[in-house]
Amino acid sequence: MRETQAIVERIKRVNRGYQRLELAVDHSLSSLLPGQALLTRRISKDYEAENWHPYLRDLWFPVEILAGNILVVERHAREQFVPGQLLSILGPIGKPLRFRQKLRNLLLLAYESPPTPLLLMLQPLLEQGTSLTMVTLGAARDYDCAHLPEEVEIIQAGDDHSWQDMVMTLGWADQVFVLVGEGPELARFAEVMRLIRGRRSDVPANTIFGIFQRQLPCGVGACQACMLPARGKAKLQCLDGPAFDLTQLRLA
Amino acid sequence: MAIEITRPGKTSLIVQTPVMPAAGTLGFADEYRSLIDYANLGALVTNPTTIEPWQPAAGTRVVSLDAGLLVHTGLPSPGLSALIRQYRRAWAKLPIPVVLHLLGTTPDQAKRAAELLDAVDEVAAVELGLGDDIGVAEASALVRAAASVEKPLLVRLPFYECYELALPVAEAGADALVMTAAPRGTARDAQGGRLVSGRLYGPLIKPLVLRMVGRLRRELPADIPIIGCGGIHSPGDARDYIEAGAVAVQVDTATWAQPKMLERIARDLGGWIATRHADALLDEWHPDMGRTEALQVRGTG
Repeated sequence: MRETQAIVERIKRVNRGYQRLELAVDHSLSSLLPGQALLTRRISKDYEAENWHPYLRDLWFPVEILAGNILVVERHAREQFVPGQLLSILGPIGKPLRFRQKLRNLLLLAYESPPTPLLLMLQPLLEQGTSLTMVTLGAARDYDCAHLPEEVEIIQAGDDHSWQDMVMTLGWADQVFVLVGEGPELARFAEVMRLIRGRRSDVPANTIFGIFQRQLPCGVGACQACMLPARGKAKLQCLDGPAFDLTQLRLA
Repeated sequence: MAIEITRPGKTSLIVQTPVMPAAGTLGFADEYRSLIDYANLGALVTNPTTIEPWQPAAGTRVVSLDAGLLVHTGLPSPGLSALIRQYRRAWAKLPIPVVLHLLGTTPDQAKRAAELLDAVDEVAAVELGLGDDIGVAEASALVRAAASVEKPLLVRLPFYECYELALPVAEAGADALVMTAAPRGTARDAQGGRLVSGRLYGPLIKPLVLRMVGRLRRELPADIPIIGCGGIHSPGDARDYIEAGAVAVQVDTATWAQPKMLERIARDLGGWIATRHADALLDEWHPDMGRTEALQVRGTG
């Protein structure tokens, strides 16, 4: 974990709701792995003129890493950025996602959240020959997936959170990563687990992982605002996450 | 530079720089080691702990506000004995004194905690946090019980009862008063849609607490040290507290937003000013780069 600075190099709109920012970052961040994130804050060149709004750093999950220490992040189109904008970055935050050694079929579920934190894993897994399916549920269906690699199968769930061949999709997956929107995260993860348990006879440990994206005040385990109710010892999203085995958490 | 920030007596807390983190912001030990050079701080004030294990709050813990935030973590703690076992080795390695923040619940528990802490050499002082809405009699009893500790006892006063409690708490045995705990507030969590209660932080807290510090400095006997705590976000803010009569300051959530700010304030109040490295271009340099070319201006004659 280090504090470094980045510059917004390029800004590109990828769909009607989102833009991608290319950030020139410190080389220590160019080896970031899927699951790891950045705590970001806009700064000005005048270091005495600190601006305390917004107060907390934003949690950004990169979606792509390009040559030359360029990280790509995806932000909502309503956020205003300009090329040359300076950023203060704390990172990397969290642990990389752990994939099964012989991962063949991976299911990604985005519920009430844009799938941004899931995107960095797509290209490396496709290159390994993993089959990827992404299901969007609830408000996540508003996210336009046209710019994602075409090898990724995209499914939009219905209003009742079901989709065609749902039993087969859930049974076929070796591993599942679930993303839910901010707010009552634990309750939403519990909802998704009920959905999965209703269609899959067994849910063994280390199969269904929830990716948490709570706002992190400190990012280093000091404030303990991101403590999660796990079986056994409590876990911190910033140090132990962002992915947790949902069978090991005490969900609402 | 050695500064005594507690009343002279059985023992006193001496720091090199009158700047430390506020309880609850820097963790229990060295969680910020990769971002902050602890040697530049006066002391580490740990996260609050209770004598018994304490569970985190359920639901929303953080609400972003305009230029600030509301926090309600529930102050999770493994309990005092477990905490000492877990962290005493890390405390021993820190280059600064450790002040353990103890949450006051009952006089019995405060006494038990004092007995436990007297045997822990790695803890230099105890900071007792008084709960909100505590009465004078209850607070005095709690402080008297905690004051059985051989180590210096700092007492953090609750925001709303600060004026009422300051003198009785000092008379009950506090070696220094920390003013104050963050005020409580209620805000709507934009994500969850619910009203959430918690402690308020941000630059706007500073004028409120600064006034309290100034007034109580005039009203309290001169031998009761006051440590200012609330809304400090710059070296100028910290200097204002010193001017108002505080002997030292505690920096709270500014560290979360800008981790190097704590060190920058500590260097400033410690008598160090940062100067640009001779070889650095102006746009390559900023005040958080460390003390490579720092110049000690105080005490150099």
